[in-house]
Amino acid sequence: MDLDSWREKVAKEVGKEGLLARTRVLDFADEKASFCSKILADLGAHVIKVERPGGDSSRTIGPFWKNSCHSEESLSFWYNNANKLGVTLNLEKNDGRIIFAKLVENADVVVESFPPGYLDKLGLSFEFLSGINPRIIMASVTGFGQDGPRKGFKACDLVASALGGQMYVCGSPSLPPIKAYGQQSYLAASLHATVGILLALRRRARTGKGAHLDISLQEAVASTLEHVMVRYFHEQVVAKRRGSRHWNDFFCVLPCKNGFIHLTPFVGWETLVDLLNNEGMAQDLTDEKWKDEEYRAENLDHLIEVLGEWTKTYKVDDLFQLGQRMRFPWAPIHSPKEILASPQLKARGFFMDFDHTEPGSVISFPGLPYRFSSQYSTPCERAPLIGEDNERVYERELGFRKEDLVRLSRIKAI
Amino acid sequence: MDGLLKDLRVLDFSRVLAGPYATRILGDFGAEVIKVQSKKTAKGAEDNKGAYFNAWNRNKRSITLDMSHAEAREIVLKLTTISDVIVENFSPRVMSNWGLNYEKLTEARKDLIMVSMSGMGQNGPWKDFVAFGPTVQSLGGLTFLSSYDKDTPVGLGYSYGDVAAGLYCVIGILAALEHRDRTGFGQYIDLSEYEAICTLIGPALLDTALNQTHIQPQGNQSPHVPAAPYGCYKCLGEDRWCTIAVFDDAEWRSLCQVSGHPEWVRDPRFSTLAMRREHSEELDDLIQQWTSKNTDKKVMYSLQKAGVHAGMVQSAQDLANDPQLQARGFFVPLDHPVLGKTVSDGSPIRMGRDSLAEWKRAPLLGEDNEYVYLELLGLTEAEFSSYIKKGIIG
Repeated sequence: MDLDSWREKVAKEVGKEGLLARTRVLDFADEKASFCSKILADLGAHVIKVERPGGDSSRTIGPFWKNSCHSEESLSFWYNNANKLGVTLNLEKNDGRIIFAKLVENADVVVESFPPGYLDKLGLSFEFLSGINPRIIMASVTGFGQDGPRKGFKACDLVASALGGQMYVCGSPSLPPIKAYGQQSYLAASLHATVGILLALRRRARTGKGAHLDISLQEAVASTLEHVMVRYFHEQVVAKRRGSRHWNDFFCVLPCKNGFIHLTPFVGWETLVDLLNNEGMAQDLTDEKWKDEEYRAENLDHLIEVLGEWTKTYKVDDLFQLGQRMRFPWAPIHSPKEILASPQLKARGFFMDFDHTEPGSVISFPGLPYRFSSQYSTPCERAPLIGEDNERVYERELGFRKEDLVRLSRIKAI
Repeated sequence: MDGLLKDLRVLDFSRVLAGPYATRILGDFGAEVIKVQSKKTAKGAEDNKGAYFNAWNRNKRSITLDMSHAEAREIVLKLTTISDVIVENFSPRVMSNWGLNYEKLTEARKDLIMVSMSGMGQNGPWKDFVAFGPTVQSLGGLTFLSSYDKDTPVGLGYSYGDVAAGLYCVIGILAALEHRDRTGFGQYIDLSEYEAICTLIGPALLDTALNQTHIQPQGNQSPHVPAAPYGCYKCLGEDRWCTIAVFDDAEWRSLCQVSGHPEWVRDPRFSTLAMRREHSEELDDLIQQWTSKNTDKKVMYSLQKAGVHAGMVQSAQDLANDPQLQARGFFVPLDHPVLGKTVSDGSPIRMGRDSLAEWKRAPLLGEDNEYVYLELLGLTEAEFSSYIKKGIIG
């Protein structure tokens, strides 16, 4: 059977529901881990974002739509909370905690990023939640984990990137270490937490028991360093900052007429020299001695200089196409603007249309990096407004009466 | 300890980093990962005796199978019948050229889950483009954005993209398993590493699309983080640094006390967060005058004790000796017959020891041939040695 007819068969037999359509998630996380349940939501899980009355602190993080600084218009919040429902709840009020317990009864997963010990102090520890719902899976994402001498350290993305080892190896040797763009430590932790939740769900299907996941931003970062710890433990090499050069010199960045290209000075040497030579720009690289890879490694600066004079005569996209025709893994250094115009992403439908609250306004939104063979498409719901789904969740799903909600709202429990 | 994925078998054609990182996670939790190798391919990053290979292939089995041989295809189909998951990270044509695309493989295993990880994805004008981590990091904006300014792109200098794609791969597999167990249907997952990187700069893409902002790299500075001082400050000693982030007035007052400059609290240039952000350059100079006279450890501990975000910039050596990572047993020793005593990073996915399998170092080339071909597939000794003689296995 080919993929298309297979897709139809799946759709006919099991419908178009998402892969995780039966999973119910409560998201109490701020910016440190809201991406975790965003992935689960994109995969079809039913996710409720639970914010404190007035909205989560992550709503103050820019960029903002029309640069407004309004808590309903944080693009960072929009991105990390798409496809979720939104309710408000005050865990520091007694009634809030009663509602929390009710939510947990009906949930599979809780994601939270409070400082270690915060939920315990409110009487909402994992043990307590397991008492309410022994099948509950709780993922706790914190700077340094639930135990250890630094569990109480404060962590933001900058601090986690420094203590996790990312910054030490990034940047120019003559300048301060540089943090990866955006909030990579939060994303790395969120990806690990998502894997952990799916693992725990799989075990629960067999044992009926939930789990408490303890994810540390620092460890998540330290797990993404590729060569850094391998070389330290095996060769006692302490990796340093090397500017734009790849740690093993496999890649370097060179200037073009209108931008920069990421290029490999070692791949397909003879083809590369032929290319330069045909344009009279090979200089001494045609000499026999350059065929020796070790010689090239020892004289890399000169090699890169000659290559740079050649790349400067090209427009970056022409050189990208030329290199790829030669099977070289080259790429232009693209800015977000160029990514939005990428013919590859367009052809694969990576950007999806989300309706916005303003009538007629549609947002072009990055999707998941997958295409699944079952006829499953990512849902396209914008992030919730503050408390947008209070009625739907509290009245229709939990069975509270309207007058209860009015009272709860008055005492600022929701 | 069997690990929580003990009932899962994975046939792993993947090489180098992105795929192996994904299947390593499955192996860590007890899946039986069978890595398909051959003498021809076991070189460089795929050399079983190398430290790099050992790092990404622990808890896996290795078999040899020369895929260029026509009869190898039949063996793969047999292996498929007993596998839940297949992972490959070749360029898009390779599996089809072997006659082993998903449609064909599902004839051997109806509810198979297969992930094809490629640089660009299985379709689109760039589908055949060659890509490594740095290639997709460049295309996906991470290189441009992780720089001091737009005129000197820097980027990360290592293959972060492979790790991110590896994590996405595992998420896809586990979600597909949940779907399979519920519906009985398998899944083909086409994963693009380029797209995986693009998901990591989501807000920047929205800012560009909706506000037409021309985002410029600014090193550690960001207009979107409401903090000042905020940055990486030089400390006493060679190449020692500490990051500091002050978000609110209470933290600011604490920093002034800790640094021995209570007078800064009353300085009108720094009276509010908005003012501190406006005068961040003057502020950074003052902070650095203080940090540069102190060790990174002292700066970090004194600020953290006072409730201020601070973290020293740790090298590989610092990480290996980090008291927090040590207390949590993050680095794991494993004995290897060629490399001797090895150490590698453990799993940051923690849910109790019993979730993990008993860990084993990476396999030697073809170490599990007999187990897989004789015990699992049930080949006779005669068939097995005939395959070896023909060079198909070996």
